[in-house]
Amino acid sequence: MGKWARAAAIAVLVLTGTAAAETPWVWDLPAWVPRPRVPADNPMTVEKVALGRQLFYDTQLSINGTGACATCHIQAKAFTDGRPVGIGVTGEKHVRNSMGLANVAYVPVLTWANPLLHSLEQQALVPMFGEHPVELGLAGQEEALFARLTADPRYPPLFKAAFPAQDGAISLRSITQALASFQRSITSFSSPYDRYRYGGEASAISPAAKRGEALFFSERLECFHCHGGITFSNAVTHERMAFVEAGFHQTGLYNIDGKGSYPANNPGAVEVTGQPEDMGRFRTPSLRNVAVTAPYMHDGSIPTLNTALDHYARGGRARSAQTDQLIVGFALSKQERADLIAFLRSLTDQRLLTNPAYGPPGG
Amino acid sequence: MRITLASLLLATGLALSAAAQETPVILTFAAQIGGEPFRCGGAYADIGTTKSTVTPSDFRFYVSDVALIRADGTEQPVALTQDQKWQYQTVALLDFEDKTGPCSNGTADTNAKVVGSAPAGAYTGVAFTLGVPFALNHADATLGASPLNLSTLFWNWLGGYKFLRIDMDTSGGAQAGKDRGFVIHLGSTACQPAGAHGGGMPMGTAGGHGTPSGAAMQPAQSCANPNRARVVLPGFDPAKQVILADLKALLSETNIDVNQPESALGCMSAPSDGDCPGIFRALGLPVGGQTVPQRFFKAS
Repeated sequence: MGKWARAAAIAVLVLTGTAAAETPWVWDLPAWVPRPRVPADNPMTVEKVALGRQLFYDTQLSINGTGACATCHIQAKAFTDGRPVGIGVTGEKHVRNSMGLANVAYVPVLTWANPLLHSLEQQALVPMFGEHPVELGLAGQEEALFARLTADPRYPPLFKAAFPAQDGAISLRSITQALASFQRSITSFSSPYDRYRYGGEASAISPAAKRGEALFFSERLECFHCHGGITFSNAVTHERMAFVEAGFHQTGLYNIDGKGSYPANNPGAVEVTGQPEDMGRFRTPSLRNVAVTAPYMHDGSIPTLNTALDHYARGGRARSAQTDQLIVGFALSKQERADLIAFLRSLTDQRLLTNPAYGPPGG
Repeated sequence: MRITLASLLLATGLALSAAAQETPVILTFAAQIGGEPFRCGGAYADIGTTKSTVTPSDFRFYVSDVALIRADGTEQPVALTQDQKWQYQTVALLDFEDKTGPCSNGTADTNAKVVGSAPAGAYTGVAFTLGVPFALNHADATLGASPLNLSTLFWNWLGGYKFLRIDMDTSGGAQAGKDRGFVIHLGSTACQPAGAHGGGMPMGTAGGHGTPSGAAMQPAQSCANPNRARVVLPGFDPAKQVILADLKALLSETNIDVNQPESALGCMSAPSDGDCPGIFRALGLPVGGQTVPQRFFKAS
């Protein structure tokens, strides 16, 4: 190769390198919404989100090709699955209800009951490689997974674009970082209630929903203590918060032994921390899009919004000394109940449920 | 200039001669079941309190902080060879499954040796820890170096790794038609984030309101049940003897045919799992505040 030819080749390489530069992510959020915190070692880029979306919907991420992340996290159901508990790709039932992913970037503690799990990158390892229960069933199959993705002509260019500094390495690191990036991109702040409360549209929600809002935020019902703030959950963090809130509560669902014990196979945060006071404590889920995420609770044991209200109206169906003190019980008139449900329905964000950017690639 | 160089060379030579006093250390392990060699898919009778027959499908464990013991009982740490494969920092993976038969989720490669070096000297025994040291155990698994990057040894729901993994099918359970099989997954439990005991985050109140024992943004800072077993084999000569790990001894007081209801299959280290205490005792781990000598490992 002559001197000039070599220089030309280098110029092409440099140009190619420039073309492969990462594109910083621009959050598509209403002006009033603070941006989420993103791990310093996994900044959001357009390319990582695109790769993560492809992976999220790909059944190649399961041992037998029958399931993907999206199997238990369905966009039309606000990324839940409509079942009481998730079912893994080998048919094994999870003990827990599949959680919604809307605004998961704002959640400082992932899953229902693990105070130690703080990043979506780490959380992705649980469904991928967990064996108790089996979800995607990939334990011991990571090399086969990397080989499948390498052989799929769609992936090497996507990995190269998303991880140019790693030369497109297909690894646990890059896969989990991409999956986390896509999930962080799934935001939901465009419900009728948001347009009413923050967008200045006085008629965006019905008079019934407005009355329900007053009930929800009342000291009589106490809903808002746990389900407050921009995500309607007290497990929240974002760029404007100086402190992290990670609310876990015992909501009076079980009292097996008269001392507040929950079922041994699903006891709450105590399973992780070993601290007796964590018996029955689960992380507060967001109430955004709650009308499309039935059934409810960590084990899907409450089928409808109406029965969920029954549970709280009774002060917990199996109240004990460990039940949160703000689960006070209340009586609702028929009108009030309808108003409260109208308010909860006003939290449904059609943009979340239909935005093609959150759907399958090519859709 | 010439003199300075000569001095440097002399100093280097001295350092090399000091290093030459390091002597290689090779500890050989063997996985057994009732004295028979472990084999993926083999059948082994007379296991546990029900004298069940088991067909194993995994047999791997991490050891760390390996040391040679002098006659006076003091320990000399062994520096492990950093082989980019089986050994990383102070941890080594012993792997007896070869991916054949029911071990299909394992790795074809096997490893029965811990390889390193220690200053030459008169040693009379060995010691090691069954488990991964705390700092490595709670690091980011997606960045783990080999052998800390095997997904079948991830312990994702608590963070960390399975220190010991032995899976098996069981004859009794098969007859009962349910709870078929028994698995042993040893790992740390009851782990707390930083500030769990008063610092940083607000504690929950007696009414069950608030964050669980110190939930914060930090990873685990301590585990109430580390479940790392320190194993000491006095009177052990690495040149002539092998460290035997015997599943039959590990399960000698455990019923592997009946799983405690609403608990993980076998023993996955949950403090409430009644299938664990017999195994923990056999590993020399505390059960109800009591510790008995371990019987899983012995010298050949």
